[in-house]
Amino acid sequence: MSSSQILKGILEGCLLSIIAKGETYGYEMMEKLYSYGFTMVSEGSIYPLLLRMKKEGLVVTSQKALPSGGPKRKYYSLTAKGIEELKAFKERWHDISMSVDHLLGKEG
Amino acid sequence: MKMTISTQSKEFLENLRLYLFSSGKNETEIEEIVGELADHLSEAEAHGKNVDDIIGGTPKAYMEQIASEMSLDLRSWLKYIPVLIIGVFAYDLLGSALRGGIEYSLLTLGGNIFILLLFLSLTVVIFKYVASKKLSKTKEYALFAILGFTPMILFFGLIFLDRYVETPSYKFSSTGNMIAIIVAILAFIVISVWGKTWISIILPLFLFLPEFIMNITDVQEELKLIISGIVVPLCIGIYFFIALKLEKRKDEKKVTH
Repeated sequence: MSSSQILKGILEGCLLSIIAKGETYGYEMMEKLYSYGFTMVSEGSIYPLLLRMKKEGLVVTSQKALPSGGPKRKYYSLTAKGIEELKAFKERWHDISMSVDHLLGKEG
Repeated sequence: MKMTISTQSKEFLENLRLYLFSSGKNETEIEEIVGELADHLSEAEAHGKNVDDIIGGTPKAYMEQIASEMSLDLRSWLKYIPVLIIGVFAYDLLGSALRGGIEYSLLTLGGNIFILLLFLSLTVVIFKYVASKKLSKTKEYALFAILGFTPMILFFGLIFLDRYVETPSYKFSSTGNMIAIIVAILAFIVISVWGKTWISIILPLFLFLPEFIMNITDVQEELKLIISGIVVPLCIGIYFFIALKLEKRKDEKKVTH
């Protein structure tokens, strides 16, 4: 697994977590990611991921008109499968981060 | 509030749309992702970022990333094939009807039908194969090239064979020719309405009308050559240029409306 693939997997889990907090759209997700320090990913890289997550049935989208008028905006929300996947990701991440922390802590 | 994005972003989105369309993606899905990115870019630009910051690497790499997550939609491409066949037949009929009458030998008629059926089955088989297997781009293009060249080679073979093998031939009467002309013109009009495009009317018009007029009037040989060699291609070129400009303006409206 290349490092970009690992990052993709982590990013997908983080997007699931952000969407789980309430219906949201691309730019807002990116702002949240950045506010948590995810500045190593380019803004556009979330869209291929969101496409895949939709294809896998983890999220659904709906078009909503903006109060300010203009074109509609695409909002994402989690499906039951998405909620399951988020749970599984949390468990996987817990195991991985514990092991890494443990190992790095020991080496000092 | 009107959504505004820079020319650079518009250009990127237009290229993305073209890339995805020529990769055989679904048109509705293409409009969805292009619209979503337009939304993102307008907000990002309002915060002082530009399109290069958004896509990270090169535009091509980003387009490939997007394309690889979208499924192939061959059905929306397949619907063009019957139209293409009807168009080619109508073009062929109109051409021969105007140039001294339609005449088909049994061999040509049977051969044409055989080649068309073979082409159709080959199209279905190859498209299905390409859609279901993960092939390299080279292999994909090779298969499409085989698909494209097979009918061409067979048509040439048929023309040669027809010269050496004598089969009964059928010549259309003048009424038959008239009917063929009307049917062909109707076919062009139907295709034009169906495809919401003028091309299926304008192209035959450019190709046949000058020739038809020259044949019924007495035009000097030299003038004939100039008209068919220079004026006709020029007219077609100008038409494509204008059509492209109009299409581009329509796309820009779509992105910014």
